[in-house]
Amino acid sequence: MVISPVHYIVAPLAAAFLIPLLNKLYDDAARVVPGIVLGYLVVVSAVLVPQVLHNGPITEIIAGWRPPFGINLVMTPFSAILALLVSFMAFVIWLYGFRFRRTLKGGVVMYYEILQMMMTAGALGIILTGDLFNMFVFVEIAGITAISLAAFYRDRDGAEAGFKYMLLGSLASVFLLLGILLLYTQTHSLNMAQIAERMPAVAQGVKIMALIFLLVSLGIEAEMFPLNSWAPDAYSQAPSPTSAAFAAVLGVAAVYALARVSYTLFDAQSVSMFLMVMGFLTMFFAETAAIAQTDLKRMLAYSSMGQMGLVMVALGIGNETALFGALFLIINHAVIKALLFMTGSYFIYNNNSKRLVALNGIHKRLPYVSFLFSLGALAIIGFPPFSGFWSKFYILSGAAKRELLPLIIGILAITIVEMTYYLRVIGRIYFGKEETEPASHKPSINALVAMTSLAVIIVVLGLYPDLISGYLHKASMFLLDKQAYIQNVLSVK
Amino acid sequence: MLKKIFVLFLLTVTGVALWQSFRHAPFGENRVGDVENPETVSAFYLKHSPETLHTANSVTAIVVNFRGFDTLGEVTVLFLAATGLASILYRRKEDEEEEGGHLPVRVKLKSSTLVRTGAKILFPLILLLGIYVFVHGHLTPGGGFQGGAIIATGFLLMFITYKRFNVNHKIMVWLESLSGLAFVLIGLYGLVAYGSFLQNIPWTGRLNDLISGGLIPLIYIFIGIKVATELTNVLDTLMNTKPRKK
Repeated sequence: MVISPVHYIVAPLAAAFLIPLLNKLYDDAARVVPGIVLGYLVVVSAVLVPQVLHNGPITEIIAGWRPPFGINLVMTPFSAILALLVSFMAFVIWLYGFRFRRTLKGGVVMYYEILQMMMTAGALGIILTGDLFNMFVFVEIAGITAISLAAFYRDRDGAEAGFKYMLLGSLASVFLLLGILLLYTQTHSLNMAQIAERMPAVAQGVKIMALIFLLVSLGIEAEMFPLNSWAPDAYSQAPSPTSAAFAAVLGVAAVYALARVSYTLFDAQSVSMFLMVMGFLTMFFAETAAIAQTDLKRMLAYSSMGQMGLVMVALGIGNETALFGALFLIINHAVIKALLFMTGSYFIYNNNSKRLVALNGIHKRLPYVSFLFSLGALAIIGFPPFSGFWSKFYILSGAAKRELLPLIIGILAITIVEMTYYLRVIGRIYFGKEETEPASHKPSINALVAMTSLAVIIVVLGLYPDLISGYLHKASMFLLDKQAYIQNVLSVK
Repeated sequence: MLKKIFVLFLLTVTGVALWQSFRHAPFGENRVGDVENPETVSAFYLKHSPETLHTANSVTAIVVNFRGFDTLGEVTVLFLAATGLASILYRRKEDEEEEGGHLPVRVKLKSSTLVRTGAKILFPLILLLGIYVFVHGHLTPGGGFQGGAIIATGFLLMFITYKRFNVNHKIMVWLESLSGLAFVLIGLYGLVAYGSFLQNIPWTGRLNDLISGGLIPLIYIFIGIKVATELTNVLDTLMNTKPRKK
């Protein structure tokens, strides 16, 4: 059987249906099978991504009906790179969490593993699909798993996080459906390429309304201000591997959907201002709120929202340099924030407390984990020579090309805010006076491998950004080229 | 008071905006176009479900074949909703067991003889109706989702009538997993044999025959089983009837 993009969806689905059975035969099946599946997806990406980058996009038709009559998956350079990122990060997060949940009893582990794996499948579906309604289905899959995982720890805060997320998540679903409905009444199609082709003929008022529906809906998922009130609770209440996956899997898919809708379905120029303003507001409010946090995971959650805001700003700037920066930042944020959540959760595990005060002097007890956390913190602020520096640099130079001076000053000012709270945490870790008891939980070997490999990626990409910059340029060029996307899909026979 | 006025104002603005955009939607007009020479997606479906797929119910043809990938996703959404529910409610049961393991508090009063006898008679008939609906999904209105839901209502009737009605979990898990897997495997067969996931087999029989439409009725039967077991599981989890752990 030839490897094709549909494997991204089929392999996790088949495994999810099988796991309840396998778990009856073999106790640890629920733990092991997702790893095999996610590892397979990394292999699929390793085969497909070079193909897409060299030979151009792959359009996979499903059920034998060519677009626009059937559903199709489209793997453009842009989505291929993100699919590789998501499957790789999901695999690393699985590796990290492999022994972490030994503390949980019995069948819960099975439910947890299924949900965590299917969140990845949903995210991959959003990234790969070429059909608007199919995207809705995958948003549902990703949303329902994320909501269940946010409420996984069944205490008061967990229930609150799950409930908040459920309210906003259902709103997002309804708005997405209304937006799709409006577009369907006007263009008589659900295929994204065909909708994009017929878009110029749609009445202006309807277009704006549909755009509002889609942006609100995807804005909720992409943590856009003021629709992001679910995020701090969900991030901080979910189990730690899930928090990492929110940033590295779900966030990537949400931003991709936002980019696809604003660049392919609609006109990038018309949403440019909106994305820049909303992105900047998201950044501003999230980063200033992060300073006030006393809880480590909440602080990281606000920082995630801030980074998402910066991605939106970059999508709004919309020239090739800024898009390159945006793609680089999506990759950086996925890797770095996952590392921060992974290391941070070991602090929490050791202190039995999420509070920042408890971090005082923890480097004596967990020297290596503290080192990795500090490395991640410096990278996400954008210190050279770490990879975070390059993404911020390209976004700023993209803004400079459009002569958006106030925006540049704003981003730099917010970076100072970001620096303040991250350096404060590093200060606590290394120079704080220790008050808590000595460590009892050293990181397990698989978690060490996962965290170290992410740290290596951060450093290597920081020193040699040219390793991937050629591919990223290609991907961002392709995102800008709407006609090529339409032609690629509709010319399939 | 001010808050109420503000909410009213917000609702009015939203309402007007919605009306403004949706009044352009030409409800009730024929927008399908010429079915013989299809230009729109809907005309294409209407032409090809009887002609190519030999499926009398074109809604089923769309749901299972043309947009079968969506349906696979929707089945998964249902599966994940059940899984998520189970993961959230799981430990509550465990905690209760630790607290002394009292019995499920599902039904306080014993149902009357009339209800109990009636339920016993109705239960197999409801199951039969459900099975009929999903087996004939490609011929008559209805299908896997509807049939599955009907079967689950049969189980609901038994749950609320009998205090100690338990479903056999082993069979449920097997049916649930295998029916989901069968859907995926049928899809993969299309990928291996004809190069496209979920592609139908060329042999589609005669229009209006029970065995027609190629793999469409088979897929809908599996969807029916999957939906029935899934919804029954949801009811089961909510009603806390899971047998004690070994």
